[in-house]
Amino acid sequence: MSSKGAELVVRALEQQGVEHIFGYPGGAIMPVYDALLNSPIKHILARHEQGAALAADAYARVTGRPAVCMATSGPGATNLVTGIANAFMDSVPLVIITGQVPTVVMGTDAFQEVDVFGITMPIVKHSFIVRRAEDIPRTIAQAFQIAAEGRPGPVLVDLPKDISNAVPGATSIFEMRRSQHDSPDPAQLEIARELIRNAKRPVLYGGGGIPMAGAVDAFRAYARASGIPVVLTLKGLGSVPTRDENFLGMLGMHGNRAANQAIQESDLLICIGARFDDRATGRLDGFAPKARVIHMDADPSEINKLRHADAGLLGDLLESLAAMPTELSIEPWRRWCAERKAEHAWRYDAPGEYIYVPDMLRRLTDAAPDVTIACDVGQHQMWVAQHCHFDRPEQHLTSAGLGTMGYGVPAGIGACLARPGARVVTVSGDGSIMMNIQELATIKRYGLDLKILLVDNSSLGMVRQWQQLFHQERYSEVDLSDNPDFVEVAKSFGIPGFRITRRDEVDGAIRRLVETEGPLLAHVCIDPKSNVWPLVPPGQSNDVMMEELSA
Amino acid sequence: MNHTLRMTIQKVEGAIIRLLGLIERRGFSVTGMNAHADEAAQRVEITVHVNSSGRSIETLAKQIEKLYDVHSVACLTAAEPRPVLKESVAC
Repeated sequence: MSSKGAELVVRALEQQGVEHIFGYPGGAIMPVYDALLNSPIKHILARHEQGAALAADAYARVTGRPAVCMATSGPGATNLVTGIANAFMDSVPLVIITGQVPTVVMGTDAFQEVDVFGITMPIVKHSFIVRRAEDIPRTIAQAFQIAAEGRPGPVLVDLPKDISNAVPGATSIFEMRRSQHDSPDPAQLEIARELIRNAKRPVLYGGGGIPMAGAVDAFRAYARASGIPVVLTLKGLGSVPTRDENFLGMLGMHGNRAANQAIQESDLLICIGARFDDRATGRLDGFAPKARVIHMDADPSEINKLRHADAGLLGDLLESLAAMPTELSIEPWRRWCAERKAEHAWRYDAPGEYIYVPDMLRRLTDAAPDVTIACDVGQHQMWVAQHCHFDRPEQHLTSAGLGTMGYGVPAGIGACLARPGARVVTVSGDGSIMMNIQELATIKRYGLDLKILLVDNSSLGMVRQWQQLFHQERYSEVDLSDNPDFVEVAKSFGIPGFRITRRDEVDGAIRRLVETEGPLLAHVCIDPKSNVWPLVPPGQSNDVMMEELSA
Repeated sequence: MNHTLRMTIQKVEGAIIRLLGLIERRGFSVTGMNAHADEAAQRVEITVHVNSSGRSIETLAKQIEKLYDVHSVACLTAAEPRPVLKESVAC
């Protein structure tokens, strides 16, 4: 007996090995929700579709496999849009299933109709509208393949309600396009080898493409064997352990001074799975001005997009890395980098009485080295990137390309579900947490062991910092001093919480976060005037780094 | 600088809009176009004239190649037509 389209959807998801779907039901997607009742797939009910999409995003980052989120047509679909854009910007494999009004009324402004296919076109890797129930198994299989292959990304499947309800005439047979395995071009490999052999001051500039390609171990092996100093982007953090002696720090706007200096002085930049993003490079024409470039990437359109590559190595990162020479004579350069690293090591002896967030975050990862940190967006995000220790990239979940405030709590939820039993802490800010605070209900419902470290400066700190520095202290709409009582808010969701305001309370708070079973919110009140240092002013080169203003 | 892109794309819903949207989003303006659907082959032959204000046409061609529905891209610049297939775009 033939199944309805909705049942084919669920069966196709089961065949892909899907264990969790993050979503929110509604009229047009109801047949699929009905079919889910007969499936072992566990549906996680978020309290807002954006929460579902962002939780799925983090789930995919932790598992390394495409994750699924689902919503109904119209407002359900539009609420997914930020999450889809987030996955697109950070190359996260996501399969998004949206309900759509029946095909006969599509294009008539029907109730809860929106052209989600058109709306999301610029922020998906590919998308489908399913027009025949027979096409469902093939479309879902294609969606998973496209999401995962090459440079990963989100793929949308828009599913009209009449197609979900239709019974296809025959079971469709389909053949998937074979996934291409591209090897790097031998001629380019040879040029790259020659560039490395001749380099006196090489730097490995690694990005999020390293973990996405499953190349962390290969990258580490090459870094160790060659001894080339390493700098990482925000999304590449953890690709070498942050305490590795060759690691100079994160580069870019809020990067470590030693990392930025090394890049500026380098004569060869070996860019691996990174894309010369403006937050990493600063003013592009002043970025690594003396360096030739080797660019290794899965995406051909990234080579030469923003910076000319003297050698462009496409395809398998493992193959490219294994082919690079390791016998180098760069000891003077290594010493120079080590001296800069020592000279610009972070300091934690901040004056004053307020809780010093960099020190608190460093202590958190000292106390719990295995912790996965799901970060929100703002000053705290940069402090996490600068001061937390990460041994693996999956320990650091952050909205890098899109900078999505509200990412932290859903991402923590996704991480808890992706790796049951793992220690997960969401580090959020008072501005960010309000963007998806309804997901506290999701934490409670599924009994997730998610800790929330809420850093509260009663303002939109990063915006305030820029207004202070670049808008003559004209503070426009950044005051959040009328925030709710976050501990009471958490309690009302059934999540216990506590508040600290003094430095001598930090160690106790970390102990409680590490030792408590179940969800917990720590509300940390800090100096409303705290700033993130150092900072490369927008539009400047990375060698122009501002430090704390005197007085 | 004016360029002409000649592409073969799958005749599926949204493919032309996806293609034109990408071209404009990546900083090129479309100054002319011609499209012809080959019903038998389920393909659309599409020629698009674009004008760039300094962006690389090579990068654009590579971004077009990434579109799932695109079979081939050829780029003709100025008076020197050099049709090239998907495997090796040279502009």
